[in-house]
Amino acid sequence: MHHNNNAELIKNYTFTEDDFKFHEKSDVIADVAPENPPVGFFKDAMIRFSKNKASMVALFMLVFIIVMAIFGPMMGDFHFREQNVQWDRLPPRIPFLENLGIFDGTSTVTVQVANMPNWEHVYIETVRTFYQTAGARTVAMAEIRIDAYANVGAEDIYFWFGSDMLGRDLWTRLWRGARVSLMMAAIAVLINLTIGVIYGAVAAYYGKKTDLIMLNIMEIFSAVPTLIVVILIATRLGTSMWSLIGALTFSGWIGMANMMRAQFYRHKGQEYVMAARIMGASDKRLIFRYILPNAIGPTITQVAVAIPVFMMTEAFLSYLGLGIQAPEPSVGVLLSQGQEMLLTNPHAVFFPALVISLLMLSFQMMSNGLRDAFDPTLRGH
Amino acid sequence: MLKYVLQRVLFMLVALFLVSLFTFFLINSVPGGPFENPAIRPEVRLAMERRFHLDQPLIVQFGHFLRGIVTFDFGISLIVQPSRDITDILMERFPITIVLNLLSNFILVPVGFFLGSLAALKRNRFGDHAISALVVVFISVPGFVLASLMQYFLAFRLGWFPLVFSTSQNWDWDRFYSMILPVLALSFGGIAFITRFLRGELTETLNSDYMLLAKTKGLRTGQAIFRHALRNSLIPVMGMLVGIFVGILGGSIVVEEIFAIPGMGRIMINALLSHDYPLVMTTTVMYTAIALVARLLIDLSYSIVDPRVVVGGGKSAS
Repeated sequence: MHHNNNAELIKNYTFTEDDFKFHEKSDVIADVAPENPPVGFFKDAMIRFSKNKASMVALFMLVFIIVMAIFGPMMGDFHFREQNVQWDRLPPRIPFLENLGIFDGTSTVTVQVANMPNWEHVYIETVRTFYQTAGARTVAMAEIRIDAYANVGAEDIYFWFGSDMLGRDLWTRLWRGARVSLMMAAIAVLINLTIGVIYGAVAAYYGKKTDLIMLNIMEIFSAVPTLIVVILIATRLGTSMWSLIGALTFSGWIGMANMMRAQFYRHKGQEYVMAARIMGASDKRLIFRYILPNAIGPTITQVAVAIPVFMMTEAFLSYLGLGIQAPEPSVGVLLSQGQEMLLTNPHAVFFPALVISLLMLSFQMMSNGLRDAFDPTLRGH
Repeated sequence: MLKYVLQRVLFMLVALFLVSLFTFFLINSVPGGPFENPAIRPEVRLAMERRFHLDQPLIVQFGHFLRGIVTFDFGISLIVQPSRDITDILMERFPITIVLNLLSNFILVPVGFFLGSLAALKRNRFGDHAISALVVVFISVPGFVLASLMQYFLAFRLGWFPLVFSTSQNWDWDRFYSMILPVLALSFGGIAFITRFLRGELTETLNSDYMLLAKTKGLRTGQAIFRHALRNSLIPVMGMLVGIFVGILGGSIVVEEIFAIPGMGRIMINALLSHDYPLVMTTTVMYTAIALVARLLIDLSYSIVDPRVVVGGGKSAS
């Protein structure tokens, strides 16, 4: 655009006497100042990020989950730790959708045909009948669909995502848990990023002995089994949010440091660094002003992936009974509690699994966009 | 290079020592002890503690532990499986975990290679997009969630597989049959990683000059890919495999829980929770050693993959 304009300008320009005068020493000769405001590195990255459709979709999905994590717990009629033991293990039931035959609060039970009159008041339909041989007796059995809500006298109650074994509302708990998990992962990742970037940069930049010593410290940290650290922290400080963050950061920064280290090794021998060094740039300036912006791309990508990975680690610990303290839920705690009633109430696993998978998916897609956005060689494209 | 490796091995032994020292004091700083149980009479407790040197200063206890490790006499378990030789317990439990791991690797390597090369060859066509979608799903859904879902749908609803690990004591068909779902759950992540990596590698390689040369020489596409392109991508994937192997070793703890597999997972957790010091220390040293060796291999593979990378080089790498 700009070049075309100039060419046009020159073509249609009529030269006058004034154009062929000698410049005097007192004349100011300068380029015209750029018309557009300067575009910084991060601004440029954001512009490129917003042009990527997949990562924008991911961003919206993420924003949706975060908004739900903030407001979701207030939408339902229940408090996240409100127990209604008489209404335990109920299937999901959502107003309006229930008329379509999904999330209608029905469940299937297997009963003896002889006992079927006992289920009269909640009976909906018979799925199948079969004979079961127990010892010498053969009994006629039936699988029937019942209204699980009427069965426990909760006709007017709606657990949108069902209830758990203590009759707590899974909708409220899920979003409350997503909030706890996201917050925990985000804080842990921020801590790891800060430690990891500085550590990896310094180790690789100075190289030689410094690198070897720092690498070995890293190895020792990463080699201490996380499980032991977690159990120690849990028995010492309890499984609060902060102690779990401590457990996640104990060796979590090592991945970031390693990545940063590898990137720095790649960059520090390149010509632009050498040029800057010849011009007299200090070590600090070389590390943070020259190499870091070029080397941080993959690490930023790593951050976006690290958040759901930490949520997975937290879920992993919950499976081992080392999750966050009850009654506070987290996605991991919900998953592991759901696992206990998987065969009867699969929805208790399904919804938290969906949330953690969607989070992972959107972070993944977003990280791809971020990687391209922070690639300095793609600037201006 | 050799000097660097020797240096690293030496540091590895030092690291192993420091980790065990660290872990030892860490687990001993947790309040409580293996015999602190109201059901155990005080005089019995004292006798037991004397028997296992628990009444001595920590540093002396650590010395006893070190002597045991060096002479491969790991002692006996105190609580988890009382007075059973730790070597025995490991011999019974570790093979299950390791077979689970190896079987996953046997599945994920060929499948990952196949899908990765297929995606690279069919780039931007339907096959590639389908594989990319699969990779995203495998990476996005955590392994233990897939394990739960498979357990519910494939084992419970359809009844194709056993719900939990077979109780059979031998390495027979029943046992392998019940290992299929856990092995699958453990391999999805690895499949996704290898596929994604290989696709990136191969698409770059396929456009390179030496592939053009190979084709100019008259090699068929298949030959060119197998003999030239894949061979070049093999080394970095080997490096990744080590990471995947260690990852599965850790990840299998939860999958073992879900499918009730009597592997190392439960033993480790119980040992930690019940202050079974000898068992905790032995498993720690074993897992740490595996992780350290793996890490060394990965680090060495960096400079093999890209000769321009000088591992351990100075400020201005030459």
